[in-house]
Parts: sequence; C-alpha cells; structure tokens
Amino acid sequence: MDQHAPGQIDLDVVREMVSHITYSDHQEAQELILHALQEINEHFGWVSLEAAEIVAEHLGTTANRVYGLLTFYADFRTEPRGRHFMLVCHGMACYVGGSTALVDDLAERYGVGDGDTTADGALTVQVVDGCLGVCDRAPIVKLDDAYHGQLTPEKLNDVLQRAIAARQGEERVHGIDPHIAHVS
Amino acid sequence: MASIPTSPTSPESPGARSARQPLRKATSRAEFEAIQREATESWRNLWGGDRMVVSVGIDSSSIAKGAVEVYNACRRELAGSGSTVRQTSGNGAMWIEPWVEIQRPGQPPIVYANIEPDDVPDLLAGRLEDRAFGVRGDEPFNGVPPLDAHPFFKHQRRILLRNHGVIDPDSIEEAIANGAYSAYLKVLFDLSGEETVAEVAASNVRGRGGAGFPAGIKWESGRKAKARPKFVVCNSHEGEPNVYKDRRLHEGDPHRILEGILIACVAVGAERGYNYVGGEYPLAIARFRKAVQDAERLGLIGKNVLGSGKDVAFRLRTGGGAYICGEGSALMYSIMGVRGQPRTKPPRSVEEGLWKRPTVANNTETLANVPDIVSNGGAWYAGIGTEKSTGTKLVTVMGPVKTMGLVEVEMGISLRTIIDEVWGGMADGYTFKGIQTGGVSAGPLKAEQLDVPLDFDSMTPFGGMLGSGGFVIFDESVDAVDFARYMTAFNRYESCSKCVPCRLGNPALVEILDRIRLGRGTRADLPLIERTSKHIIELSLCGLGQVAPAPLLGLLHTYPEDFESKLVDAPPVLPLREVLPLAGD
Repeated sequence: MDQHAPGQIDLDVVREMVSHITYSDHQEAQELILHALQEINEHFGWVSLEAAEIVAEHLGTTANRVYGLLTFYADFRTEPRGRHFMLVCHGMACYVGGSTALVDDLAERYGVGDGDTTADGALTVQVVDGCLGVCDRAPIVKLDDAYHGQLTPEKLNDVLQRAIAARQGEERVHGIDPHIAHVS
Repeated sequence: MASIPTSPTSPESPGARSARQPLRKATSRAEFEAIQREATESWRNLWGGDRMVVSVGIDSSSIAKGAVEVYNACRRELAGSGSTVRQTSGNGAMWIEPWVEIQRPGQPPIVYANIEPDDVPDLLAGRLEDRAFGVRGDEPFNGVPPLDAHPFFKHQRRILLRNHGVIDPDSIEEAIANGAYSAYLKVLFDLSGEETVAEVAASNVRGRGGAGFPAGIKWESGRKAKARPKFVVCNSHEGEPNVYKDRRLHEGDPHRILEGILIACVAVGAERGYNYVGGEYPLAIARFRKAVQDAERLGLIGKNVLGSGKDVAFRLRTGGGAYICGEGSALMYSIMGVRGQPRTKPPRSVEEGLWKRPTVANNTETLANVPDIVSNGGAWYAGIGTEKSTGTKLVTVMGPVKTMGLVEVEMGISLRTIIDEVWGGMADGYTFKGIQTGGVSAGPLKAEQLDVPLDFDSMTPFGGMLGSGGFVIFDESVDAVDFARYMTAFNRYESCSKCVPCRLGNPALVEILDRIRLGRGTRADLPLIERTSKHIIELSLCGLGQVAPAPLLGLLHTYPEDFESKLVDAPPVLPLREVLPLAGD
C-alpha cells in the first residue's frame, strides 16, 4: 500500500491521482470529495493539508470543507503512519474475547493508544470500534496486510516483535525500504 | 496470510477467469434472454462435464484464515489437468473455513472443512475423506450427509443466501444462470411501477435496518412524489460493532443487491440509484463494483435499458467509518460530501432527501429481498414468517458458540433454537449468561427468555430488539458493568456531536460507569443513570441518540446484582494529591 517514505506526501502523485477523478456537474464533484480523500488515504496512509487543498481545488470547493471531512470520518488520518500499521479490532466478539487486555498491554508495553505512533516510528495503532469481520478468531488484529487471531497480550507482543525484527533484518541486508506483507 | 484482492480482475485474483470472456451489450429483451440461455447452458456444462470442479469459498472471513493460499495451492496442483478451479463466496459457516468443495466426475459436490494450503495435495488425491463435511445436494453420498442435514443449515431458510457458496460472486454469468435480473426484466417490460410497488406492499416486507418500517409504504410515497429528479438509496453502512450481514451479502451475491436497487428505481420512477457502502469493507466494495461494471457492460444500467425506454443511472459511494452514517439523513449528507450529521424530521427523506429531492432509502437486506418478491409475488413472501413480520431474517452472532456464522432463518423461529441448534450451543468451558440484542440499540435477554420468537415485535416487552439481527452472546466471565461501559463508550465515541444530549450525556454515563467499576459508586448513581438516560432518550435529535442508553439500561435492569455489588455507602475519601497530582510530585 504505502511505498513512500513515512511523513511525506508527494503532491505530484496527488495531482496525478485527482486528475483521474472526473465529474459532470458540481453535485457529482461534491459526491467525489470523500472518494478522492479515500484514495489518497489508502495510498499514503494519511492525508496532509496540502493534499486536501489539491482535492478542494480540483473539485471546486474549499480546503476548509475538505479538512472538515477528514477530521470527521474515522478512517482518515491527518498525521503520518508508522512503518507498521495495526488495526486492533474492538468489536463485541473481540471485546468479549479479551481485546481490552490487548489495548491495555499496548499502552503499557509500547506506550500507544488509539491513533498513536510509537516514538521510534515503528508502529501505528488504530482501535477499530466496528468489526474486522473475523469474529470466530476473536480477539483479532490486522497488522499491515495480515490477520492474527486468538491473541493474548503475549502472543500479540511476539507477533509485533517478529514483524519489527523482520523489518530491521531486511533493512540491514538490503538497505532499502522492504514491503512487509506477510508475517505469519 | 494474504492480502485482500482489491482488484478482482488482477491476474492473481480468483475473479480473473470470468474477465476473459468479454460481455456483449444487450439492447433488447430478446438479446438479454439469449444471454440468459447461454449462461444457463454454460452453468450446466460446468457441473455436468467429466472434469473435476474444485471451488474454494473466499470472503473476508475465510481470507483471514488463508483461503486465497488454499485457492492458489489448488490451482498449482491442478495446473494443466483440465480440472476447473474456481472461487465462490463463503456459505455462512465460518467455523469450517477455509473450505473446499470438490465435485469429481459422476459424484455430487462435497464440501471439505478446515483445509490448509499444505493439505491440498492430499485432499485432491482423495486422502482426506475424513474432512468431508457435507454434500451440496439432497442425497448423502458414500456416508457423507447432505449439508442441509447439519443443524447449522437444517433450521435455515435460505432465500437471500441461496447463491452463497454456490456462485462465483465476480461472475455475472453465473448470477444470471441462477436467476439474477429475471425479476428486473419483468419490472422493465411486464409490470407497471404501480404493480411492482403493489407486490412489495403485499409482501409486507419491513425495513431490515432495524426500524421495521414497511417498505411498500415508503415505495408508494416515493412513487407518488412529484418533484424531480428522484433517487433510490441503498443503505449498506454497518458501523455497529456486531453486525456483518450486509457485508456478507455484498461479498456473496452482489447482483442480488444491485437488482433490488434497479427494480426500486424503475418502480418508483427514480432517475438514479445509489449504494452507500462502509469504506472498511474493501472486498465487499471490490465485488460490488465489479458487479456494477458487468451490469453496465450488459446494458442493464444506462439509457433506454434493453430497449424498454426506461433510463436507470447508478452510483456507488463509500463511507469513511462513521457509525452515524447508517442513519438515513446522515447517510445522505455523507453522499453529498459533507459531514454525516442527522437533521430534524420532517421533512422525511422520501419528501426531501438527497440533494433535497424525494429519496427512497432502504436497507441492503430489504432491497435484496425484492427480486424474489417480484419473481414469486408478494403473497408468496407474505406466507413466509409470521403475520406481522414476514419473510426471513439474516442473523449474525458473536461470542463463544460452537458453530458460529451468518444464517438466514424464517421469522418466528425461537431464539433458543437458533442458539442451541444452529449455533451449536456454548463452546466448551463457557457458561451462557445472556444474549445482547439489537446491536448497541437495545438490551440483553437471559436464558429463561430465549423462547421468544425472532421477529420485529416479540422481544420488545423484554427490553430486547431484533434491530439489524446482530446478536452477541456473552458468558459468565463478562461483567455487566464492564459490558455496559463498553457499549456506552462506543456510543460516546460515535456520537456525531451535533446535539447536546448525546454529545454530553454519553460521556457523563461513561463517567458514572467508571466510577462504579472503580469502587467509588454509590446508591445515588443508579437513579442518576436512569435520569441521564431519560434525557438522552427524550431529547436527542436522531434515532441513534434516542437508543444510545438502551444497552446500559437493559443490562442494569437485567443484571442489577452486577451493578449493586460494586456500590459503596460512601466512597473512600482520597487525599487530594492522589486525585490531582500536584506540581512537584
């Protein structure tokens, strides 16, 4: 998903992305604001004010309105993500299965709560109040592109340590930004 | 573990197969009927040939368990053998995922449960017969019982889920071969808008989103509305923490939903239909988007559809993860590109909805029922279920039960039957304490209340609610105060902050509950909960605010002992510096 250096959004890429969004009238343009923001958010992991301004310009509205949407809807981030991105499901099955213990442990061990990034930029955590839809494996997290289920705080910690270590190992070997998709 | 294939036509993705045959546009009824015949023919050939047919159930829950790897393993193993390897959707039985269905020449299709990628060679060589779960058919085969003999399937009546686990959701041909768009054809050519609406009214299908308002009445008001243009909006936004039925409908049979929306557009004379899907469902969106593209290519959407003289436009819109956008007016604001916050009613959306034009808004499940209502007649549908709650209901469960999954049951079945038989009862080591009903909009039921029939009205006297059919079963280890705090905190977090009672009342409730949990609550806190809740219920602007305290009140009334046992006569007086850390500490 995010192949770019964290913390930066290439505005030329944003301009290229919005140029593909076409509309026939002002009504349709307004319907497409959320869509444009979703594409940018999915690509970069977050949306910056400058990117929001480009969307506003292209769709004939104000940056104020676009930024208002960004801060209203839970899926958007207005700050960069860490190198790993983890969704912690806090739906009812996961709650009943013990997701609160996972959230508490993340706060204790890594000092991160909902929406936070660890100080070293390795991990961003987002707590999902809806549902990730894998309820029979509760409690579950989605780390980057992989799901991990039936977790205890210890198991989750193992998963995270492995992901972070794998990443550092690859960096040492290749010195490039590897795309970690599969952990276990 | 795999990433979700977001583009169904990418080479690795299971949906690529159907993309090879270009779809040709039909411009008349006869041309479409020819396509129907071809689709039926190739569907028959698929199953009637002398080759092995291997199907893998792929949806968002089985992908998380490695179904895509299993699919790829099957493809690798059977490459060049002439066998067919295809994707289908999940069949609702989540505990047997990932599953693989194999039809060997001359045999019926048999579903094998819990297949890992490493199992595939043995499975295909016939060495894993002990994993055979059931035959997709009516007769047992070689000692393997039919799927429908399993309690999970036996008590179901699958109308909406008929194609789940059968067709490839990315293939419009397979959908058509199984009846898709035949009702749409009827509405385009044989029925007037008035007649279609009359069938829906006769079916007495009630809104599946939770409110239970009769769809026929809504459609009739929409049809009679004079202002132009008119719109139809399908509400596929599920933000509640325990509901996933609409996501599964999109993943399993997207054409059924699209057909329902298109029929509604033609019946009420709407210029354009919308489907608003939660943005957190990438696979559901990808499969539905593919369905819309294929329907456009076949000429089922656009100007002068199949030469009928009727124009139908369609747009898919995706949400941004706000629970409130499931509320009708908030959803429409979200489509219009503003913050999804509800407004006061009247005017109702059928008078002034999207872009201030008459808008018929229905839940996904309601619209998914429409094709069968039109095909079989409203009277047929009214004969299913109970007198006041007709038809079937999709029901989802979470919690420690043995055979968890999405099921479709006839209205009127008892909750006890569903829990004990369909879901197999409590998992080992868990004791049933209660079942939360109505998502986060109602209270729980206890074991002795489980004989209540599943319909729109019967649970209300017990403080429960059918709602959107999402149930959570919790066991003795779950404390009612903690559970109430969880659901109230959800409502606090998801409050859109437009009106004061909900914005300030829910945080106040969370504060009171935290006080009780931490051993600082007193007897005065229970009436305070009642009074604060009354404020929120009576003064909130939208339906979601008005039910926000319902789970808390339900739990308080059902399990008062959990609350009372934590109360103290007088909270311990802490030294000030323990309450407020002072500077220099």
